[in-house]
Amino acid sequence: MSLRRALVVWLALGATIARGADSASATQTYFGSTERIRGFDPITAGDVPTAAAIYKLYEGLLEYEYLVRPYKVRPLLAAEMPQVSADGLTYTFKIKPGVRFHDNPCFPDGQGRELTAADFVYSWKRLADVRNKSTGYWVFEGRIVGLDEFHKKSMEQAVSYDEPVAGVQALDRYTFQVRLTEPYPQLLWILTMDYTFAVPREAVERYGEEFLNNPVGTGPFLVKKWKRSYRIEFARNPRYHGDTYPSEGEPGDREAGLLDDAGQPLPLLDSIVQYVISDDSTEWLMFLSGRLAASGIARSNFDAVITGQKELTSALKARGIRLEKSPLMDTTYLGFNMEDPVVGPNQKLRQALCCAIDVEKYCRFYNDRLMPAKGPIPPKVAGYDPDKPFPYPFDLERAKQLLTEAGYPDGKDPKTGRRLQLTLETGSAADPEARQANELIASFFAALGVELKISPNNWPEFLKKMERRQVQLYQLIWRIDYPDAENFLMLFYSKNASPGPNHANYSNPEFDRLYEQIRTMQDSPERTAIYRRMADIVVEDAPWIFMTHPLAYGLYQPWLKNFKSHDFPYPNVKFYKVDPTQMRN
Amino acid sequence: MLSYIIRRTLYVIPVVFGVALITFLLFNVVGWNAASQMLGKRATPEEIAALEKQLGLSGPLPEQFLHYLKQIVTFDFGRSFATQQKISTLILDGVLPSLSLAVPIFLIDLVVAIVVALLAAYYRNTWVDRAIVVGAVMGMSVSTLVYILAGQYLLAYEWELFPIWGFESVKFLVLPVVIGFISGLGSGVRFYRTVVLDEMYQDYVRTAFAKGHTERSVLFKHVLKNAMIPILTSVVLSIPFLYTGNLLLENFFGIPGLGYLSVEAIFSTDYPVIKAVVFVGSVMYVFASLLTDICYALVDPRIKLR
Repeated sequence: MSLRRALVVWLALGATIARGADSASATQTYFGSTERIRGFDPITAGDVPTAAAIYKLYEGLLEYEYLVRPYKVRPLLAAEMPQVSADGLTYTFKIKPGVRFHDNPCFPDGQGRELTAADFVYSWKRLADVRNKSTGYWVFEGRIVGLDEFHKKSMEQAVSYDEPVAGVQALDRYTFQVRLTEPYPQLLWILTMDYTFAVPREAVERYGEEFLNNPVGTGPFLVKKWKRSYRIEFARNPRYHGDTYPSEGEPGDREAGLLDDAGQPLPLLDSIVQYVISDDSTEWLMFLSGRLAASGIARSNFDAVITGQKELTSALKARGIRLEKSPLMDTTYLGFNMEDPVVGPNQKLRQALCCAIDVEKYCRFYNDRLMPAKGPIPPKVAGYDPDKPFPYPFDLERAKQLLTEAGYPDGKDPKTGRRLQLTLETGSAADPEARQANELIASFFAALGVELKISPNNWPEFLKKMERRQVQLYQLIWRIDYPDAENFLMLFYSKNASPGPNHANYSNPEFDRLYEQIRTMQDSPERTAIYRRMADIVVEDAPWIFMTHPLAYGLYQPWLKNFKSHDFPYPNVKFYKVDPTQMRN
Repeated sequence: MLSYIIRRTLYVIPVVFGVALITFLLFNVVGWNAASQMLGKRATPEEIAALEKQLGLSGPLPEQFLHYLKQIVTFDFGRSFATQQKISTLILDGVLPSLSLAVPIFLIDLVVAIVVALLAAYYRNTWVDRAIVVGAVMGMSVSTLVYILAGQYLLAYEWELFPIWGFESVKFLVLPVVIGFISGLGSGVRFYRTVVLDEMYQDYVRTAFAKGHTERSVLFKHVLKNAMIPILTSVVLSIPFLYTGNLLLENFFGIPGLGYLSVEAIFSTDYPVIKAVVFVGSVMYVFASLLTDICYALVDPRIKLR
């Protein structure tokens, strides 16, 4: 091939690529994500970028109110909030009539058919079928009459979705009934999660394993183009079912212009492009150039963007860029394996190590984008008490005293004369920033005379070690699934021990008794009081070193309107809009 | 020639089988539990066991190896643990972006490096030669990352000469190609200069000069032809690496190629994807070796293929 011909081929190739990215309209809005998505199947969405894509395409019975705090839910595909039986075991939902799935060849005439109650029956059975590799069956495990049996049967043989399950039934075309095995106070939160969303049986059966690449939902957007590992282009669903912008918010929302679009039909954006930009510095340049609507702030960039008063620099303010700060409902911690012969039986040792952590210094390492944790329950969740003093704050002298009481004076084991050596397993082998932070933690232990060996693992290997109870200390963050402290406290319930989520393998009969009590209690001051009591128990027992709650720092272009920080932000893009004039300037 | 090609192609079969066996042992025996990875951190042991059975991962190793051989023959490597996508589709999707970046860099680098190397040889031991060598060493000494960050910030962001990131038209490829070309030029120039100078001191070159040939005639008619063997070896054996993509450039410029795919797979411990990329890359290398041998015979009449 001559050089000239090669050049022609290359230009032709470029032209082909260019056709794939045509028609940048005035209201096309670009967002960045650092990871690619796993596909568009709601039951396998377990990560942030995938959820961000799924919520644009699919919907469930309920969703979070966008502007109201504290969080509450509102009907989405349900016509109204469910009727709940007096015993709290039966929930009856009326499905909103006239909601149609996206047009797709899987339907007889290519026209999306109407959503019915049967779609939820099918979708929830599909979630329970282990052959579908769902990551989310835990949301219904042990909760719905007959569904566990269906789930177990699917482990042994292919199951028929026509087989009735007593707990999920379509009473008529628009009535969907759920029967629970016990009261499930978190059910309404759970029904906002993507695992429970409605998918049409026709699409699943037509596309088989390729269903994850052929989304057919009822959501506000459709996938127009998708290039794996690069970009997804979403277009407005022209037949969206009439959901409108909320007219209720918090004090201050109206003044901030967040209620200007009250009652407007959703979505407000015509087209969205979700890019996969794996490098922070590139994402930052894309944001500065005005290409992206929003951006995070990399640690290495933080001082150049944020002043000592934790405000935006004047240069960025002058460009109209907005900074949004918000504490997240997450908790980072170092867990002790309570079955480990060294740390497990020695409460004083664990308390000493708690006191050795200089959390303020640790937060400074992360540009103060963390706040010290005082227990397992994060801010903004019932049970969190900001005024309660933490009983084991950083205090090196007290730590040394506790260490002596634990049987390790000056950090040495009197039997062997050797320094106490502990091992911290981490799942962040590829993250240089996490490695530096772990070295800082090791230095806190070293000040106490205890040697901390850091053992970095890749993520699957780390999980395997925890599931097999082969760790001594481990480092994790728990990201909240729903705004209820139960979601954190279940991490200490003895029946959830590894391979369940209680990787500390913590067991306390009093805690277990309280957990079993709150498991079926609806939200009330009594339940919140029990949450606090349970948090006190684990703080005293110290199966974790409670480290921090992260603070989110987000930057937004001046032309992106209607943005409000939200802890469950995935569906919220349908409320955003852009000012095209401001965008072009 | 034809019988040689057929014979060498047949020799490739046991080599490919060996590659398949090694990749299988590396990833199936040492590898992480696929079912556990697919079902996430809340999966129960019963769920994991059931899915392993469904995926055929609970059978004996010989059975699993036969399944793997079938995947190779049909170019169907199954699905990614991490994304559930078909691996053959992921590879095919990634080849075009990788090649659209790597081929221009490779060709421009090759032509420019040989031309500059010939220039250095022509002006050997003069200031021109020394300047070229110093420039090449300096170019090699600067990390590609520096070129990328400086290029993105100055040329793309500050001066707006190129797009910062993306893969949407030819103009999106210009900056990564220029950076790839500049960062690779130094080593190419040094290699080809050494090859050409090696030839310059051979007896036949002295004879050619003694017969009254000009410097230019000797360089282009005699030296370049004889330098083709090492040049060909280097060029043909580089071809498989075009497929594997350019990790840094793809990552920073958002080119969804195989380099990016491989890195993602490594970070997410996605063994089936890594296994497939490694296997396809190894097979391409084996065939590139075969192609090198054939090319030798074409450019050097002293070499006979038997």
